[in-house]
Amino acid sequence: MPRRPVVKKEYTLGERVYLVEIAKGLGLTWKHFVFNIKASFRKGPHTVPTCWQYPEDRREIAPIFRGAHMLMLNNKAQELCVGCGMCAKACPAKCITVKRGKRAEGEEAKYAGKTYSASFQIDMLRCIFCGNCESACPKNALVLGPGYELAEYDMESCIYDKKKLLANYHQAKAEGKLKPPKKPVPVDAPPAPKKPAAKKATAAAKTAPKKAAGEAKTEKAEEKSAK
Amino acid sequence: MADWQIDLIKVVFIWVWALLIAVVMTWVERRASAMMQDRLGPNRAGPFGLLQPLADGIKLFTKEDIMPEKARKILFLLGPPLFALPAFSAYAVVPFGDKIVLGGKEIILQVSDVNIGFLYVLALGAIGVYGMVIGGWASNSKYSILGGLRATAQLISYEVPMGLALLTIVLLYGTFSLREMVLLQQGTFLGFLPNWGIFKQPLGFIIFLVAAYAEANRVPFDLPECESELVTGYHTEYGSMNLGLYLFGEYVNLGTLAAITVSLFFGGWTLPYVDMSKFLGPVAYGVASFMVFFIKQAFFLFLFVWVRWTVPRFRYDQLMGLGWKALIPLGLVNLFVTALLVQLTI
Repeated sequence: MPRRPVVKKEYTLGERVYLVEIAKGLGLTWKHFVFNIKASFRKGPHTVPTCWQYPEDRREIAPIFRGAHMLMLNNKAQELCVGCGMCAKACPAKCITVKRGKRAEGEEAKYAGKTYSASFQIDMLRCIFCGNCESACPKNALVLGPGYELAEYDMESCIYDKKKLLANYHQAKAEGKLKPPKKPVPVDAPPAPKKPAAKKATAAAKTAPKKAAGEAKTEKAEEKSAK
Repeated sequence: MADWQIDLIKVVFIWVWALLIAVVMTWVERRASAMMQDRLGPNRAGPFGLLQPLADGIKLFTKEDIMPEKARKILFLLGPPLFALPAFSAYAVVPFGDKIVLGGKEIILQVSDVNIGFLYVLALGAIGVYGMVIGGWASNSKYSILGGLRATAQLISYEVPMGLALLTIVLLYGTFSLREMVLLQQGTFLGFLPNWGIFKQPLGFIIFLVAAYAEANRVPFDLPECESELVTGYHTEYGSMNLGLYLFGEYVNLGTLAAITVSLFFGGWTLPYVDMSKFLGPVAYGVASFMVFFIKQAFFLFLFVWVRWTVPRFRYDQLMGLGWKALIPLGLVNLFVTALLVQLTI
């Protein structure tokens, strides 16, 4: 690439005197000054538009925000988690430990499935909030919630146990910040097999329908479990 | 009350007033700069963060006073007071109001009406640089001494145009006393303009203002303490209240320069077109003249802050070039023209 010559800008007399330019600059800062002063006299939280005064102003988070995990309950206040350990498998940071337990007689009101998670630990110090556990969960039991204040005084408190995860759910429910139900992903019909004219195209086409089919399966499973 | 008692009261009053302005200026500097840069600034201590200077003061007082091992002990301790004291002393000749009648006695609102007026101010401004140089030298640190050296060079270069600008004012008014100068600025000029120094000496005003910024080591001329090159320049090694004195002295200096600007170029305590003494009582007039002076001074103090957060810092050679190649010739031309006009009109 040819180098572009550096063109030195010739300043006009007004620019070289510099006072006019300073006056222009003063005008600009004055504009900001007046704007912010006016804004600071407005009532209500978050008055200065560029600053969030954190403990008083809290940012509105997106409905699908990926924050602290929570273990979901269904409408009958039963735990959805069956303790299958899919989330632990899916976790790239290996921060989830699940122990499965069998539902005993008389615990039907507490657990939705035949099995449940006897213990469920998430190490929040290792978690990268990727959300893979959420998408791996066949029962939609583990969801990344809206909580983002994760600071603790010691390392032990950063390992969330089942109690904390359920408490997260109750808090989010009380604040009305549970995620909206997932929309079913529209699955296209697998494209008709093409002639092997272009190898690449066929290769892509071969993998694509498989994927789509897989997704469709999980979707159906999720829908079932949600019901 | 005896005269010396009145003088004492005036001295204490102006001392406290200068201190108060400096304290509030540290708050204004931080809040106003925040507003100009779309930030918030300190707003936790007290309403609008107004107690922030107090918190800073407590912090500075309670910090350990660290002295570098190889510093020159006596000079190191001498630096900050030598910088702050002249700044305070310069307030002595500032006419911060006309006069007030209390208990049948007419009191001039000025600590002392010295007949060499602002020569005294200039002298004290020149002494103030000793505080920087001595502090920089005694710290035994490369940043400090570079800061001190720059302060000297800058002060020497900018005393000249400042002196030239002030000389034109002296030619115009024929006096050195600041109070008499303010009194001469009453009435109107050319029939419609207020009889202020700025309308008679616009070029002189610009030269004076630029030189004043350089004198006070403010952006765009804060080369002696520029953070990006010299950490903080001459007071790098200082901590605790020694540092506090430097920072304080700087703001007191700003107050002095703003006051001098007002009384030389903006008619001091007088209002344009209106003679306050005619319809105000003797006490009310004294207070009103003081307030008018303060409002004008406050504007220039704000201008210092305003310019600081608008303009970037000059390069060192640009600073010297501006001083020697632009301001001094301009000042000489201005002086010559003014002298000619004064000679022709008298």
